[in-house]
Amino acid sequence: MSACSFLPAPTQLSQDQLESEERARAQRSHSTALVSSRREPPPYGYRKSWVPRSLEDFGDGGAFPEIHVAQFPLEMGRKKKTSNALAVQVDAEGKIKYDAIARQGQGKDKVIFSKYTDLLPKEVLNDDAPELQKPDEEAVKELTEKTRDALMKQVSQKIAAAMPVRAADKQAPAQYIRYTPSQQGVAFNSGAKQRVIRMVEMQKDPMEPPRFKINKKIPRGPPSPPAPVMHSPSRKMTVKEQQEWKIPPCISNWKNAKGYTIPLDKRLAADGRGLQTVHINENFAKLAEALYIADRKAREAVEMRAQVEKKMAQKEKEKKEEKLRELAQMARDRRAGIKGHGGDKEDGEARERDEIRHDRRKERQHDRNISRAAPDKRSKLQRDQDRDVSELIALGQPNPRASSEAQYDQRLFNQSKGMDSGFAGGEDEMYNVYDQPFRRGSDMAQNIYRPTKSSDKDMYGDDLDTLIRTTSRSHNKFVPDREFSGTDHGPRRDGPVQFEEDPFGLDKFLEEAKQHGGSKRPSTSRGSKDYDHDKKRRKE
Amino acid sequence: MTDIAVVESNVSVYFIFQDVQKHSVHTLVFRSLKRTHDMFVADHAKPVSLDETRYSCFVKQYAVFVLPSTSISLRVCNCRLDASRTAAGVGDIHRNAGGAERSPAPHSHSLLEGGATKNSSLVARKNPTMPKPQWHAPWKLFRVISGHLGWVRSIAVEPGNQWFVTGAGDRTIKIWDLASGKLKLSLTGHISTVRGVAVSTRSPYLFSCGEDKQVKCWDLEYNKVIRHYHGHLSAVYDLDLHPTIDVLVTCSRDATARVWDIRSKANVHTLSGHTNTVATVRCQAAEPQIITGSHDSTIRLWDLIAGKTRATLTNHKKSVRALALHPRQYTLASGSADNIKQWTFPDGNFIQNLSGHNAIINAMAVNSDGVLVSGADNGTIHLWDWRTGYNFQRIHAAVQPGSLDSESGIFACMFDHSESRLITAEADKTIKVYKEDDTATEESHPINWKPEILKRKRF
Repeated sequence: MSACSFLPAPTQLSQDQLESEERARAQRSHSTALVSSRREPPPYGYRKSWVPRSLEDFGDGGAFPEIHVAQFPLEMGRKKKTSNALAVQVDAEGKIKYDAIARQGQGKDKVIFSKYTDLLPKEVLNDDAPELQKPDEEAVKELTEKTRDALMKQVSQKIAAAMPVRAADKQAPAQYIRYTPSQQGVAFNSGAKQRVIRMVEMQKDPMEPPRFKINKKIPRGPPSPPAPVMHSPSRKMTVKEQQEWKIPPCISNWKNAKGYTIPLDKRLAADGRGLQTVHINENFAKLAEALYIADRKAREAVEMRAQVEKKMAQKEKEKKEEKLRELAQMARDRRAGIKGHGGDKEDGEARERDEIRHDRRKERQHDRNISRAAPDKRSKLQRDQDRDVSELIALGQPNPRASSEAQYDQRLFNQSKGMDSGFAGGEDEMYNVYDQPFRRGSDMAQNIYRPTKSSDKDMYGDDLDTLIRTTSRSHNKFVPDREFSGTDHGPRRDGPVQFEEDPFGLDKFLEEAKQHGGSKRPSTSRGSKDYDHDKKRRKE
Repeated sequence: MTDIAVVESNVSVYFIFQDVQKHSVHTLVFRSLKRTHDMFVADHAKPVSLDETRYSCFVKQYAVFVLPSTSISLRVCNCRLDASRTAAGVGDIHRNAGGAERSPAPHSHSLLEGGATKNSSLVARKNPTMPKPQWHAPWKLFRVISGHLGWVRSIAVEPGNQWFVTGAGDRTIKIWDLASGKLKLSLTGHISTVRGVAVSTRSPYLFSCGEDKQVKCWDLEYNKVIRHYHGHLSAVYDLDLHPTIDVLVTCSRDATARVWDIRSKANVHTLSGHTNTVATVRCQAAEPQIITGSHDSTIRLWDLIAGKTRATLTNHKKSVRALALHPRQYTLASGSADNIKQWTFPDGNFIQNLSGHNAIINAMAVNSDGVLVSGADNGTIHLWDWRTGYNFQRIHAAVQPGSLDSESGIFACMFDHSESRLITAEADKTIKVYKEDDTATEESHPINWKPEILKRKRF
């Protein structure tokens, strides 16, 4: 108090002092007045020019409907400008809580790092510092149990949701509640003071399908507010560093989607073709040379060997010839020696004839020798039989044609076919010049016995058709004795529909016309053709 | 350096191998004073008494004001102090070496005024120091197993550590003997690349998932497929089994992860929230039970009971393709092309960055000894000390003869259950097995580590 008296009066008052002054003023006002003045609104009927402006004008009532002015008793009804600004909060020590923004949606216990001191490295502690020790076994076990129970509950819920329907589960037993209502009296609860209520859990129908649709897709809610970032922002990139990471655009050798025209040096830039010289290993040349040399050597060797062999063979041959000549000479000498003396007198012709006889005897002997020596070898006759025609022609064998009749060109035959039948349109495959084979050799087919039709008529009788035909009409088995009167003994039916004999002779007329028009060829085939067409049409 | 007090002579040994930094005499003297004080005089728990004469020197370069609201740092301080008190010696000094430079000088001025009116306690405490990384033996390649005809995409090791399974791009699943590396069995049935395999610890089942949207359950007694889990709308990229509950979690290119009940094949939960392919999923018994990493560069920790996201970690700048849960600690490492980050559970508080592996990280695995392996798309493997984030080895194994050099990449890596062998699945169609080099010691492969004197980088 003494100090205050010396000091000058304060110009600005602190909050406490203001409050105390206010209280003092109120007390003073209370003490002097007899009646506390409260501004009441004028009573009903006397409010003609009165307008409530402040909160006290309303008294403890509400708005006045007869006064046509916007009124907000107790500040109700005003349009508040909602802003999502957080009110400034202060913690226990009076410091402003700046991390209220970061903690907006979370509980107050949630661990959020927002202070600068959170990212400062702490002191290196000893290994047995208490902060670094793991929680003890009991705490861990307790936590494990709790976790396990919670997880089991979750899992069982999930499994039960997927399980099929089972019997209805037992409900908990009924609970009884004693209730004392607040409103008591004779009228309520028929005079009783308390009620007893029996509470039973409502039964769940096990077969009931789910009550609510859960297939609706709704967008996800907003995530929890992001945690404050506890590091300095990444450093700005220098131009040099940006240049380092520049990647040149790709110029493909194959694709050019937008069809850009790119200069040739850019096209080949990535290729690097001009930059490298192609180095071929010199061993390739060495290999080629070695192969060439080897080839040449091999050829020489082969040639030499061939020559040597030839010479050897020649020598052998000469030796053999010499030997044979000697033998022949010896034989001739012997023979000449045996015969010899008579034959010298005759003249040339006799000698020639002798020579011919000699040769022929020799040949006969030769053949006899061969047949004796190699019986498997075929004789001439057998050989000729199996030869092909071209071989026979080449050998100049005569044609063993039996008949001497003239051979006709096959194209002369079958003249009835029409104009385009002979040449057959230039077909090469059809070989139709001759009608008989060139050399009808010994046909085995001819040698095979083939019985004719009418060989044993007297034994077995004739075939059916001839029997039908040749049996006399009177004794024919297949002709009725007494016929119908209207039977037609005209020409036999050839088909289901029989054409009548044309009375006007049109067919004949037409045929003649055709004959004269075209070449003079019998038109029997054409007629038969028409007939066939008609037949076919009727059938269809 | 040599004309300073006796204490320094131990430190000079180290400085021979490093460049000598030039400091002013004032700085050097002050540092030595400080070190001496730390070593012999200081009781770190007790606050330093306010000595007006030396107030400005100490306060400006030494102390950090602790406000009542930051109680966490006090706790942290205690732990470290315990450690530092027990391990005295060269290492200790080394650790404290950078202390002088690290105090936030401008802070102190403003806080001085504040301190007067606000009645805060001035606790002069040590600045945060860099702990020394633990030494690990280097790993070397000791076996290459070839037999697949396509990229080997996934690995799983059997709980009894007798054999391991691999899934490959030739659509087969092969089972190999772990000790000898010989092929035991080949399983066919997938119609596209097999992207994930897992062996159950509670039943004789093998689970596999592929790019053909199929998730198959193989009975290993009959070597046949017995169940299909139908529901994914696109290629399934990874799967994991819950260690205690009979539940399978698969993640897919359709931006969801699904939780399946193994026996009934029912899709219990569909974990949606990611906006891009979910590349990797891990399960654990403690909260959060499911962790997913996605190509939208976020990691989500899920609540398995409710099927909702518990926390979203947005620190990474590039896709998160790999996750690794520490077997002993309640921590997680996530790998991405920018860097590897470590987090705590259950809320996902960020611990530190492991940077240095500047490649797309496809796979990560952690050892009980604190060895973290990260395998990248370019074939390099980085091995890190988990606690400090020190990269103690880099391996780039040569490709199989006959493969192109560009065909080197790692798609999966896993430690076997004895944690002595690292098995990697590679893009040159081989499986490489690594083991620790027994002949190496701390002297032969020293830790080449310099504590960071500069302010720790903020990301």
